[in-house]
Amino acid sequence: MRRFGILVLLLGGVHLVLPLGSEGQGSQALLSFGFLILAAYTVGEVAAGMGLPKIVGYLLSGVLFGPHLLGTVTAAGAARLTPVSELAVAIIAFLAGAELRWDEVRKRGVVFGKIMTAELLLAFVAITAFLYAVGPWIPVAAELPAPEMLMFAMLFASVAIVHSPAVTMALLTETGARGPVARTTLGVVLLADVAVVLLFSLVLAVSRVIAPSTDPTVAPSLAAVLWEIGGALLIGSAMGLAVAAYLRFVGKQMVFFGVLAAFFGVEITRLAHVELLLTLLAAGFVAENTSEHGEKLRHAMERSAAPIFVVFFALSGAKIDLGQVGPLLPLVIPIAIVRAAALWGGVRIGTRWAGTTGPEDRYVWMGLVSQAGVAIGLATILGEAYPGRGPYLAGMLLALIAVNESVGPILFRRALTQSGEMRVVPDDAEATTGKNPARTNT
Amino acid sequence: MTIGLLLIVIVAGAYLAAHSASEWLARRFLIVSGAEYLLLGVLLGPEVSGVIRTSTVDGFAPFLTLAFGWVGALIGAQFQVRDLVRVRPDHFRIAGTEAALVLSFSAAVMAAACVWWFGLTWGEAAVPALAAGAIAVSSAPTGIAVVSRRIGARGFLARQLQVTPAVDALVAIVAFGVLLALTHAPPEGPLRPPTPTEWVVITLAIGVVSGVLFHLFVGGERHVDRLFVALAGALILSSGVAAYLRLSPLLPSLLIGFVLVNTSPARDEIRDVLARVERPLYFVLLIFAGAAWQMSGWTGAVVAIVFLAARAVAKVGGAMLAARLHGMLPSLGARWGWGLIGHGGLAVAIALNYRLFDPSELAGFVFTASLVSVIVTDVLSAHMVQALLLAEPPGPSPREGHEPTDPVSVSEESQVP
Repeated sequence: MRRFGILVLLLGGVHLVLPLGSEGQGSQALLSFGFLILAAYTVGEVAAGMGLPKIVGYLLSGVLFGPHLLGTVTAAGAARLTPVSELAVAIIAFLAGAELRWDEVRKRGVVFGKIMTAELLLAFVAITAFLYAVGPWIPVAAELPAPEMLMFAMLFASVAIVHSPAVTMALLTETGARGPVARTTLGVVLLADVAVVLLFSLVLAVSRVIAPSTDPTVAPSLAAVLWEIGGALLIGSAMGLAVAAYLRFVGKQMVFFGVLAAFFGVEITRLAHVELLLTLLAAGFVAENTSEHGEKLRHAMERSAAPIFVVFFALSGAKIDLGQVGPLLPLVIPIAIVRAAALWGGVRIGTRWAGTTGPEDRYVWMGLVSQAGVAIGLATILGEAYPGRGPYLAGMLLALIAVNESVGPILFRRALTQSGEMRVVPDDAEATTGKNPARTNT
Repeated sequence: MTIGLLLIVIVAGAYLAAHSASEWLARRFLIVSGAEYLLLGVLLGPEVSGVIRTSTVDGFAPFLTLAFGWVGALIGAQFQVRDLVRVRPDHFRIAGTEAALVLSFSAAVMAAACVWWFGLTWGEAAVPALAAGAIAVSSAPTGIAVVSRRIGARGFLARQLQVTPAVDALVAIVAFGVLLALTHAPPEGPLRPPTPTEWVVITLAIGVVSGVLFHLFVGGERHVDRLFVALAGALILSSGVAAYLRLSPLLPSLLIGFVLVNTSPARDEIRDVLARVERPLYFVLLIFAGAAWQMSGWTGAVVAIVFLAARAVAKVGGAMLAARLHGMLPSLGARWGWGLIGHGGLAVAIALNYRLFDPSELAGFVFTASLVSVIVTDVLSAHMVQALLLAEPPGPSPREGHEPTDPVSVSEESQVP
């Protein structure tokens, strides 16, 4: 009840103030930002009280207060917060990279690779086949010749198989889980992030031959894709070494330095045309594994990550247009079911191939359902690459992402609970210290 | 190389250089200030190298607004009534009188200068003069804290020097916040524009309501990370609302800080959370304040000299008069006001807030004068405090009673006010 009271007070206060002021020096963006933090956090707490992951609440608040529903945060206000969103992606990616230990990669890298290969391939084939089969009932694809229909199905599938490092990290931070299911899910998700960018670019390049776009400049060349990935690893590694040097020789003002490094990552990737997520993943991984003090920076960034997660997922929610998603649900929900089934099957095949005997074969697929930022980015590229049919396909993908973004965190939390890896962190245990006792659960 | 990237590289490099240099300067020459960041901002700004353009400063305005809010909350969080009542009332009486005298004298001199030099009417000169007066009141606590700790000073004078900057900060922020509210331009729209008194009430209400909202929001929460989310949200929201309504974010945030430390059971955690991002925001504030500076020519230089002189006279004279009025001149000495000469981060925050609020040439002069004052006085302030405290006679001061170690917490680490 108190939480609803806060929301009513917040909403009433903001609407009372709006007619008295004027936009200037980005003040309305700051107002939206503050409102979104408090409102999303409150809805997140309500979600947690109902046994749901907090990020579901953050997403929901974005949908509710965003430009498509109540409009408290306008489209212009949300757009002005894009740099905050980019910064959030950079920090999340750095944290995700820093979670991986070299020892673990050496010992379990092959396992991650086999599970990833199996689940990605099976999901890709299953979604392509399903879309090809239902093609005659999709408005923009009904009249297409078979090869073009197959290409569009493959293009759609190459985006539909993407996972979400952001959701994975947010859940791991929220629950403190660090057992085999959590570690394997994280490893597979991070590895898959590289693979899906390559796969998408490859499929897009082939599709340009079979079904030429009216705007060929949008689709990237293979060389550009290779640079986007190779350059990201190169620049990220260099950044990681620089961070390690800072930690060794200065080692102070960690929060300031972490945010500055993330800002730097955003700028350098824009300038060098490399993938942001991958660059910061590599930076986090190298910094953590080449420095004795990497943990200090990770802890400092983790302690500042809470508002970052709140804003990132609330802004993601604000992008969901229920009016657009609703009519597509009859088509999208079966695709989501096929995808989830393929992930389940793929993980089971992958774990048997890798010879793992733990709980991974039953639970990891649930951590792979979520989709968020990377998938949205690729869907946007797809929409722009084919100005005719692309926007419809992108709309379908966004609807699918909205479904997976809502269901995925719930499934992952359930997986962590059922596998016994999730520890409910008592509030008073972390009081004043901010240290998470569940971190010892390695 | 993009401007954004260049900016990050320079800020990071400057931070590292200044970090090493400031430690060395503090150790070797007893110079404790953030003036190096201010100078760096000037060098990077459009008037010198042009690395930071005017549009970049405008683009960072939301961060600056947030920095104002954070500074206000940090200052408000110093006033915990439970500790304040254990401080001898003499300290507050003297500090309050000194602040009122400095505000009145500095504003009067600046108003007279505006009327005489620029040919303005007294009414036209009142706003920039009062803004300059509010800026003049603030005193830097860092030098006092560093020297007191270094030489272990615990006498009446040391205590007075610790209490006065906090009271100065309070008076400066209230005066500036009320000034912006009273001179608020009526908003466009169908609603009846609020009266000046109503704008003052709105300014105060933003702070009080945000403080109450924070309480509702966190309940009995003591978890540092959750408090951080709630506090950051409340401060961002209140600063955003204040800036959106064209009011100063400093005063509402000061009220938030005051409400929180006096009503929340998690007051220590709240102070910890506030301190967590104090320095980064302070660096951003100083660098962008330097970058926002525009050349004012000889007129600006004259205004700066008048301001420096008026403030020095007001601080030294006002402090002496306040001590005499309250019968404490023998304990404090006639020169104790020299210990308050350091100007500090709050002056930069108020001056930049005023500059962003009022783009006129006159506001530019006030801004220039403030920056010059901070750069000049911060270099000297710790030496002056040391000279005063070393000269303080040993033994108990009149009516010296039991006092807490840090009644008004002025941390050595703290860079603001």
